[in-house]
Amino acid sequence: MSNDKKTIGITAGNDRVLQRILAAGHFASELDAAKFAMAYAIKRGTPPGSTDGAGTKWNVGSVDPDGSLRSLVEAFFPDRPEPYRLVEHLMNEGLRLLDTHGDVPPDVVEILFGDAGTADAQVQS
Amino acid sequence: MLQIKALHVTDFGPFKGRQSVRLSDKDGVSVFYGENMRGKTSLLNAIRFAFSGKIIGRGGRPASLHKVGNWERVSEGKYGFEVELEFRHDGHDFSLIRSCRPRPGVEAPMGDDDYTVEFYLTRDGDVLGPPQAEAELQRILPEQIARFFLFDGELLQEYEDLLSSESDMGRRISEAIERILGVPVLTNARASLLRAKEKAEKRVALAAQGDQKTRELGNQLGDLHDQREVLNADLVRLERDLEVLRATKASLEEAMRKRERIAALLDKRDALERAIGDLELRAADKRRQIGEAMASAWCALLIAPIRISLAQMKKRETELQTAIARAEVLRILATDDQAECPTCLQQISAQARWRVQEALERQRDLAGGAAEHEVTALRRRLEALSQHAEAANPTALRLLWDSLEEAERDLYGKRSERDELKRQLEDVDEEALRKIRSDFESTIRQIDAVERGIADTRRQIDDNKKFAENIQRRLDKLAGANFDDERRRRELCADLHQLFDEAVRVYREQLRKRVEADATRHFRALTTEQDYARLRINDSYGLTIVHKDGTDVPVRSAGAEHVVALSLIGALQNNAPLRGPIIIDSPFGRLDEGHTTNIVRALPSMARQIVLLVYEDELPPKLARGELRGKLRGEWSLARRSARFTELVARKD
Repeated sequence: MSNDKKTIGITAGNDRVLQRILAAGHFASELDAAKFAMAYAIKRGTPPGSTDGAGTKWNVGSVDPDGSLRSLVEAFFPDRPEPYRLVEHLMNEGLRLLDTHGDVPPDVVEILFGDAGTADAQVQS
Repeated sequence: MLQIKALHVTDFGPFKGRQSVRLSDKDGVSVFYGENMRGKTSLLNAIRFAFSGKIIGRGGRPASLHKVGNWERVSEGKYGFEVELEFRHDGHDFSLIRSCRPRPGVEAPMGDDDYTVEFYLTRDGDVLGPPQAEAELQRILPEQIARFFLFDGELLQEYEDLLSSESDMGRRISEAIERILGVPVLTNARASLLRAKEKAEKRVALAAQGDQKTRELGNQLGDLHDQREVLNADLVRLERDLEVLRATKASLEEAMRKRERIAALLDKRDALERAIGDLELRAADKRRQIGEAMASAWCALLIAPIRISLAQMKKRETELQTAIARAEVLRILATDDQAECPTCLQQISAQARWRVQEALERQRDLAGGAAEHEVTALRRRLEALSQHAEAANPTALRLLWDSLEEAERDLYGKRSERDELKRQLEDVDEEALRKIRSDFESTIRQIDAVERGIADTRRQIDDNKKFAENIQRRLDKLAGANFDDERRRRELCADLHQLFDEAVRVYREQLRKRVEADATRHFRALTTEQDYARLRINDSYGLTIVHKDGTDVPVRSAGAEHVVALSLIGALQNNAPLRGPIIIDSPFGRLDEGHTTNIVRALPSMARQIVLLVYEDELPPKLARGELRGKLRGEWSLARRSARFTELVARKD
């Protein structure tokens, strides 16, 4: 029986980054920004794992209503048994990577369209 | 002829203590040399203050009396100032003293209200009573025409307005010109004769009312006269209102002209504010669109790895499908005794079936449920990846961000421009400027209404007169010789009024021709441009330069404007019944050496007494002495003793 997570959370430190990104007005919701962080982590080749100390922010039903996110994570990380735990981990790692360690929000546009954004990244499995 | 004999100033501007200058009683030019801030304009203002009690500051605005007292004296606790002018007019010697002192009980004045201004006038040593002194001053130098005797470059510039029939400043100057030329003598006489004529007509009406036969017509005539009196009173009131409104409009125009640059900056700032508002809305809309589009930004970020995975997974799907199909065929061959080879259609031998079973054993994984399970999982993932790849639209996202960036760049540029304007406008009293504009617009509307009222009243007066003339004719027929005396009086007044009406027209025409001829004579002497042939005068005494080829010179420089204005002033001096000294403050500042030389040379022909207030760079003493020679009647220096103390010293060099 799977021990995968039913809820997804963000650690307190990463939540501050999330709020800064949200305050910059680039995303309409926290979830959109968190998914962006997850994609950024994948793109940067973050190894799979799990994050401790993440509270509850969303139900997996809200994060992935049609299961497509789970399928995507499974496609990128086929050997990992708990895709939503991995989603949570990737979201938190992505936020940690996006942290500019100041009041300035991360440059989302540069990430999207800059050299780093357009370059193919190696997805680790 | 007014001639200034001496000027004594006490604590006036930089002139600390009592200081005096005595001017020559011979015709010619007196020159006062002083650098900037030494008190040339203060000397001009001292003479103006003596005659009118007024002091003019920058922009032609009345200056505060409180600020005129000598600063060093003020710091010693002594406030106020005094000017004494000795002059000769029409064979009489006058002494005019005007003082500005703190009101009784005020020890440290704070503003103009804390002062009282008094003046005394003596004629041939006899002190004149206040009303007589006031009337005498009005006769000697009415305030309205002082501009032709006491002026500076700024005032000269205003004569350009005479060329515009729309300008109220031009109208006021034009009226002042007619005043100095003595036209009011005739126009006042004409007005008196009109009143006499109407009085005579009224007497006819009264006489007719006393006779049974003519009573009805007399009554009608009397009523019409009563109505006309009311209409005339209305007309006088409206014309007075119009005069006040025009003066208000002129001063508002002047105030707006001085704030033209500020007004333009304010308009620009307001336009920028509007543009910024529009751009902010546009940027907000773009941000909203981006907010919505950014929901799939994460897919766009992963589009490359998604495509790679899709390709890999499709390959794997194909592999699995092939393996599953092959295993299915082998399974059939291994279990069915009658099975034929699907390729050669031969019956499968026992030995071959055995080899197939061995092969199936080796490929157990592929042939079993695991492969089916993997294919199902693979297809689910393929569908998910395809769905996210489809959602990712980096090009559309990029366009949105680019358009937001463009709007924000525009916003930044416009905000910077707006902020710079705000910095420039920091100390501007916007409310005052707005009030000037709204007062101006309101004054224009009022002038329009009053002008319509005047036209309407005049039409009613004309109708009234026609009616009255009609009745008068019927009365004349009916009355026969009964009212001959009254009729003769009426006709005499009417004839005299008509005569003076014509006289005003003829005199004005003659004056214009004489002023035009004299101004041209002065202009030819003053200008250095040989191709300028003459000046042409318009109905408002505005002067246009005419080129020798007969065409008008449409645009003229500030320097040319001065030359034309000086020509006009010289012509007015030649033609005015009232003549006096010309006292000019810094007249050469905008003129080159050629014009300066010409003007200095021509000055003695423009008025009998000329006082020049100049700095040495605009009129070098050597040039003045060389050109004026025997006509140079005295030279003084405004010598600096301190920043707040200037001394009038006769030049000896």
